[in-house]
Amino acid sequence: MMEFLRANQPVFDFFLLTLGFAYSQQVVLRAGVFSLASAAFSCLGAYGCAYLVVKAGLPVAAGIGLGALIGGLASYLVSLPLARLRGVYQAIATLALVELMVALALYAEPITGGAVGFNNIPKHVGTTELLIAVLVVIYLLHAQSISRIGRGFDALRQDEYVAASLGVSSRREHTLAFISSGLIGGLFGALQSMYAYNVEPNQYGFGYMVTTLAAIVLGGRRSLLGPILGSAIMILLPEVARPLAEYRQIVVGVILMIVVVLTPQGLADTFLAWLQHRRARDLAPMATQPPGGRA
Amino acid sequence: MLAQQILNGLISGAIYALFALGFNLIFGVQKVLNLAHGAIFMSGAFIAYYGVIGGLPLGLALLIAMVSCGCVSVLLDRFGFQLLRKYSHADAEFGAMVISIGAGQVLTSLAQKASDTKVLSFPFGTFPVEFFRGLGLRISLLQITIALLVVVLVALLAYFLQRTSFGRQVRAVAINPRASALLGINSRSVFSITFFIAGAMAAIAGVMIALSFNSIQFMMGEPYMLKAFVVVVLGGLGNLAGAVVASLLLGVAQAMAAAYLPPGMADILIFATLFVVLIFKPNGLFGGGLAPAGVGRQ
Repeated sequence: MMEFLRANQPVFDFFLLTLGFAYSQQVVLRAGVFSLASAAFSCLGAYGCAYLVVKAGLPVAAGIGLGALIGGLASYLVSLPLARLRGVYQAIATLALVELMVALALYAEPITGGAVGFNNIPKHVGTTELLIAVLVVIYLLHAQSISRIGRGFDALRQDEYVAASLGVSSRREHTLAFISSGLIGGLFGALQSMYAYNVEPNQYGFGYMVTTLAAIVLGGRRSLLGPILGSAIMILLPEVARPLAEYRQIVVGVILMIVVVLTPQGLADTFLAWLQHRRARDLAPMATQPPGGRA
Repeated sequence: MLAQQILNGLISGAIYALFALGFNLIFGVQKVLNLAHGAIFMSGAFIAYYGVIGGLPLGLALLIAMVSCGCVSVLLDRFGFQLLRKYSHADAEFGAMVISIGAGQVLTSLAQKASDTKVLSFPFGTFPVEFFRGLGLRISLLQITIALLVVVLVALLAYFLQRTSFGRQVRAVAINPRASALLGINSRSVFSITFFIAGAMAAIAGVMIALSFNSIQFMMGEPYMLKAFVVVVLGGLGNLAGAVVASLLLGVAQAMAAAYLPPGMADILIFATLFVVLIFKPNGLFGGGLAPAGVGRQ
């Protein structure tokens, strides 16, 4: 196992980063918020951290922490107007936000380096740091999901009106979902900038969104296992299917379409639901049978 | 100079209208965000290009592009969006977006393979290069053709939707698919026809853009997709007349920005406008009470 990991370390690191971005995307979708803004928060976190560490000379840990906070603050600010929108309107507004962020990063050359990107960042982050960050995020999301907040998210995703009648505040929960997404997005953006030597505006554009959305579609929007499975498929697919490498984009596109049509809840979530269903079915006869057995 | 900028802006706005109308028509009828529309637009330009290279006259190549893009669009609906109708609303809405992203990616990668990631351009003289001057303005034959074509197509679409029996069916399905099914309207064929029209219009827009800038490349759909967002949000999602006005406005605004603002600034302003309009007037600048408000409960 360790041998395998060492040989494929760059792939594993890439998997961890994708997983982090996927969690940032999943947490909003789970709460029924149709936001694609994770790319924008990661973009802010990455540039913020790179600027603070390289230009302002802050220690790396402080830079990464502040990167996450910048993402969180930005997500709080955008959530004020955006939590009022629903469905496709939210999707378009957040797509616009992502494009706006890319356009700003290209325009603000003195700070971001423009199209060339922010270069010459010393490498401070390796597999260990990424792994720790992912584990911490998984723990926090797990704690969130088994608490009242997580149940509120699930209720809101399934039916907002029913959730509201049960006393779930959509305003409060949606804001929380946005902030969680911004913090995670900013954190992994910052980690990526400290990992990859440079930051470019187009890293946080359409491609980022396709990859993270694909990971969640393949995995699922509800369980924490979903993004792990989804990111693993997205990262391993081109590695496993070397002969298909040239047609990778086409294969990914076709797989996305097939998976969505067959299991719109995602592979991991559908599997978990199937397990639960089976367990319920196995228990059902005992519960419904009268004590004396069937007459 | 100013009048010339406005004229150029109106012409490019007319092409945006052609592209955005199809996108908006699909949203109005089917309530899905077809993110593959940009890729279909790009495919139109590619098919016409290979037609012209293969020796066909431009008109015939354009026709082939329209029919094939219309068919691709119908297939996407039939074997994509339609299959999602049996799932819950939230799943279907999310699924439709992902399916169209997947389809767009397949088309874009195929085009990338076909063109070897190169920028293609029509052979010189595919469309006669002629200029007319008058009133201190300069206009090319191509620009006149585009303007006429767009006016005719928009008029035809309006006539089709407002005055024909089939148009009434389309509008009925847009308002309530279930009630119209009870009245004996075959919603499936309505969906197919609207997708065909949208695909064909995207193909025309693609060929027009390819001719105006004389460059065709596999990523050309993406910026137009984003412009379509701006247009449909300004004009109101599902509001066709609003989309035409918003397209012309966007075209003029962009020509002005390109002439008088530093480069890169135009995009920032446009997307910031989109963002602000969505927040304060999610039904669009001309949105009436009938338009669907995308605002949730407070």
